[in-house]
Amino acid sequence: MDAEKDNANPTIINPSDLPSRRRSAPTATKQPGLFDALVPAYPSLAEPSSSPEASDSDSDYEPREEIDEQEVYDLISTISDPEHPLSLGSLGVITLDDISVVAPTSARSRISTVTVLLTPTTSACSLTTVIGLGVKVRLLNCLPPRFRVDVRIKEGTSQTADEVNKQLGDKERVAAAMENRNLINVVNTMLVTCE
Amino acid sequence: MSDIQIYLLEVDKNKPEAKLVAARSASRLESKELKLIDLITSLEEYINNKDDAALRGKSVAYLADVLETLPPKVLSGQERRLLSDFILGRLEGDSEGIGASARILTALEDRGRWDPETAQRVAKTFLDYASPLKDHKLQTDRFAVIQLFDRLIGKYRTPLQELHSGDPEFLAKFIYFFDGEKDPRNLMVVFSILQVPMTEWDISGNAQDLFDAVFNYFPITFKPPPDDPYGITSQDLKDRLRDCIAANSQFAPFAFPALLDKLDSTSMNTKRDVLHTIQTCVSSYELKTINIYAITLWDALKFEILNVQEEDLAEGALKALSMIAGRFAQQEGFLNAYTKPIMKECNQHLEDAPTKQSSASGRIMYALASAATPVADKITKGILPTLFTLYRSSESLTKRRGLLEVFNEIVRAYLDRFRLQPKLNLEELTTFGQDALGVMLRVLTNAPKAEVSLRLTALSGIAQLVALRGLLTEDQRFQAVDVVTDIVLHEHIQGHGDIRSEAIKTIAEMAHTAPDAIRNQAIPAFMVELPDSPADDSSYLPVLEAFAHLSSEQQVFDTVVLRLKNKYSVASAQAASKDYQQALLLAILYSFTHGSPMPDEEGVIRGTYFTDYVGPFLLTLLEQSQTGWDHRFTEIVGRLCNAILRPQGVHFQSQVYNKTLDKIAVARKDSDRMIRRAPFSLYYYAALRPDVIDAEDIVALLQSYAGIARGTSNNETPPVVLQHISLLVNKFIAGKAMQSTLESVGLEVGSLLSSPETSTNSIGVAFSVTKALLVQGKSPALTSKYLKLLLQLLSTPDGKTVAKHFATLLAPDEILTKENHCQVSGLYKQKTFSQLVPSLTAAVRTADPATKPNYLVALSGVLRWLPYSMLETSLVSLTPPLLQTLDLSSDQDAKASTLTIFESVLMHDPNTIAEHTASLVTRLLNCTTAPVNGARVRAKALQCLALVPKMLKREAVVPYRRQVVKKLMVCLDDGKREVRAEGVRCRSAWLGLDEVEEED
Repeated sequence: MDAEKDNANPTIINPSDLPSRRRSAPTATKQPGLFDALVPAYPSLAEPSSSPEASDSDSDYEPREEIDEQEVYDLISTISDPEHPLSLGSLGVITLDDISVVAPTSARSRISTVTVLLTPTTSACSLTTVIGLGVKVRLLNCLPPRFRVDVRIKEGTSQTADEVNKQLGDKERVAAAMENRNLINVVNTMLVTCE
Repeated sequence: MSDIQIYLLEVDKNKPEAKLVAARSASRLESKELKLIDLITSLEEYINNKDDAALRGKSVAYLADVLETLPPKVLSGQERRLLSDFILGRLEGDSEGIGASARILTALEDRGRWDPETAQRVAKTFLDYASPLKDHKLQTDRFAVIQLFDRLIGKYRTPLQELHSGDPEFLAKFIYFFDGEKDPRNLMVVFSILQVPMTEWDISGNAQDLFDAVFNYFPITFKPPPDDPYGITSQDLKDRLRDCIAANSQFAPFAFPALLDKLDSTSMNTKRDVLHTIQTCVSSYELKTINIYAITLWDALKFEILNVQEEDLAEGALKALSMIAGRFAQQEGFLNAYTKPIMKECNQHLEDAPTKQSSASGRIMYALASAATPVADKITKGILPTLFTLYRSSESLTKRRGLLEVFNEIVRAYLDRFRLQPKLNLEELTTFGQDALGVMLRVLTNAPKAEVSLRLTALSGIAQLVALRGLLTEDQRFQAVDVVTDIVLHEHIQGHGDIRSEAIKTIAEMAHTAPDAIRNQAIPAFMVELPDSPADDSSYLPVLEAFAHLSSEQQVFDTVVLRLKNKYSVASAQAASKDYQQALLLAILYSFTHGSPMPDEEGVIRGTYFTDYVGPFLLTLLEQSQTGWDHRFTEIVGRLCNAILRPQGVHFQSQVYNKTLDKIAVARKDSDRMIRRAPFSLYYYAALRPDVIDAEDIVALLQSYAGIARGTSNNETPPVVLQHISLLVNKFIAGKAMQSTLESVGLEVGSLLSSPETSTNSIGVAFSVTKALLVQGKSPALTSKYLKLLLQLLSTPDGKTVAKHFATLLAPDEILTKENHCQVSGLYKQKTFSQLVPSLTAAVRTADPATKPNYLVALSGVLRWLPYSMLETSLVSLTPPLLQTLDLSSDQDAKASTLTIFESVLMHDPNTIAEHTASLVTRLLNCTTAPVNGARVRAKALQCLALVPKMLKREAVVPYRRQVVKKLMVCLDDGKREVRAEGVRCRSAWLGLDEVEEED
């Protein structure tokens, strides 16, 4: 069975070493303290609207939480690899460092750009295109339309990089690929593990 | 006509009638009206009819029916013998009516035990003249025969076994007889019949035949029909078959190869079945047999673990391996031969750790080692030297982590065994354990902080080593505690994952096995970090929180709270910031409410804590003018008092109460002081048992708080005063005296609300009194009167305020609880529901647009706190008003709670809401827009909307797909990250609709 896979035993990154918002959160954002739970959490008799959740609707006035690299990472790192029952994040195919979000370049433009560079587990991985397609589809579905999505293979990591990049960069080819029943099935199985 | 003639006429058209005919013959036999010999003679022409086989069969059936209904003792021994000779004799020439013949024999046996020879003759006759059974087409016929054999094997075991030992061919015939049975009901019995020779007879000559006779049915794929009257499940069959396969060690040469062959099956269920069967075989075959196949099994089973297909298959394989190890535990030779190749392979996998294979090796090691201590010791000797050599020779931190993970698995196995037998001999592990501790301590202190997984692995390893009492020296325990304490105290950078919270957990665990080290080492270190009077605001908080966690271990609880109290005294003497003083008090409170204080002999928290920890505060609170004591402060002391005093007995509480009564009473006239003291008073009175209290005290107290509540007209009544009123009314006033007492203290709701200056205050008071009554449930008439009055207010100018108050009625209340000795009716939620909800829904239908929102808000306030099961039956009438609630622009709470209800409806009863799909989808979409809706409402609405395509029928939701998917684009750009995440989930759910369509 192993022989069918291009890379039967890839290195797996431990979940606690994967980047997460919590891990990189600056100390300033205060987590709810241990003792906060000691005060009542239900509306008291005189202040019917004092339920603890009520206050958070005010938090809308806080500054907007922009879509950043970590958020993009969270969207795509849970995609499953088509041949291992593992996530692209834990296989190191997707890393936080290889994601960049670029805000609109001019004041008149609303278009931001997300660039994702993929690192295949081996340079000969034949499923690179499918993985790239999965990532692209996921991002197109999950990011607002003002984002331009650019998925590419990281330079020097795959023998077929140019070919794959050409396919992924071509709108029409992506659209055509998503008409293919078999491909859709593969991509959907990959995306099942996404939250 | 004779009975037999009537029977033969009826039997095909009317079974019950035929049975009656047979019963009539039976009673005639009983009353001697009919002689047995005449009965038999009357059969003659039918039972011997050469041309009509069916007729012969039916006449035997007649005889069976007669004999089955015949009471015992009617037939003499001789008659029974004659009958059985007759039946067996005719079977030799004619197997027609075989089922009925078996029934006759069974009926005869019921009426008198056979001698061994008869039993043997019965068995032989069937095997010689009616074999194989599968030739008889009727399942019921075969079933009767099988049951006869079940009887034989059950009651005449020795005679049957003698047949076997006397005749080498017998067992072969026996096996052939049952060959090819297909009916599940028959098979259940056949399996259990065959299990007897399998287990008890010498089967050396027929082992393979016997094995094949049952293994032919493996794997069982039978699916019971939906309305199977016999209730046989495929699991029943599987269980019996498995027991057969495992019944005799001589099956091993056939069973293991065949099972392992089936392990290559592509069906997960077959593999599951194989693994279970292997486990059963391993637990029942003889040791020397298992020894022969142990390696073969390992070679096959390992693939399930190294290359996990399904997690439960891996677990099944691990369990089988572990069971083999467990059986070999006392057989040094077998164990060596078994573990050697396993350890060799695992050692190889360790070389390229961390990989799937190396972590699988860890699991294998754990599975084996946890089987028995000798196995664990063997693994320790065989694996750990290599593991540590690899560790030392590698510079790669990820590799080191992979190796430590495997080490931890082995120690975990010891820990599991240690929990079962605390006297476990840890000799074998000691050196390695101590070495490993050194290694892991170095990792924690020296490894780069960003190596989170490595450090976490080391941390959990240390926790396990410390938990193995007796493994480490005292010095080493102290070292371990030191290093972990250091992480807790000095690693504040959250950028490094969760290590701090894990360290806190670890330190609390270590307190269990190393309380001395915690007391002498960790606690002083914590105290150094806690300032007497902190300069900046909150840097002490993480240390304090971690310190309070230690109170979860009873052995160090007293030390922890004592140190906190001392720290508080110092802080207050040095006039430290109010926040700091409060935080220290909160830490004490946390320890008492969430930690493990010492109990007294009766298991109640020790009363001395009250004297030590509440007494001093109580004095300051009651005697001083409480300058500097704000509301929060008083409340914390009150809660602390509540936590310790509440469970104490009447005697203890009376002492406390009588001592303080005077001091508390003094202040009654001084309303400022009353208000200031209220937060304490509330928790204090909540802790007291009703029989401790002086009734006059309560009336006086109620009077003064009622006065305060009604009197503070310009500024709002502090909520705590209302809670206090609610508590006193609920807990201390009895049913009959209720109305008069309420009137005398000025809390009667009717007059409260009818007074011309109905203020916000009196509305609050009215709700608090009503809540006390409805929770109590002892004055139903008064309660419903008050509820009606409150409902009426909804259409007045005060309606808006009143509507919001409705949410308080059923809101969970931490004061009115059974633990606080309050009167809590079991059914108050149901009662309130039936009194309020129908009137509210009716009012929504008729109300004018101006007051309608009031009713909607009140309704959702009531529904918010009810369990879903209570709403379920009224969903049809509730859905329209709930949908309207989603249109309210103002009230976020009402919307959020309504969305939660819709979420439950979609989850449990999607059909009831199907007819409203259009309006539900539109409204949910509207609820996702900012800024009209808060983030909480937007997120909840998206969660509900995501359920719609999953729970409702496809054709009902497909028409909305395009619209929803388009509108959700906006949510993908929501200002809140959390809402965007919900938006992504929701949109995926709706996009998913597409796929099903094309597959159809």
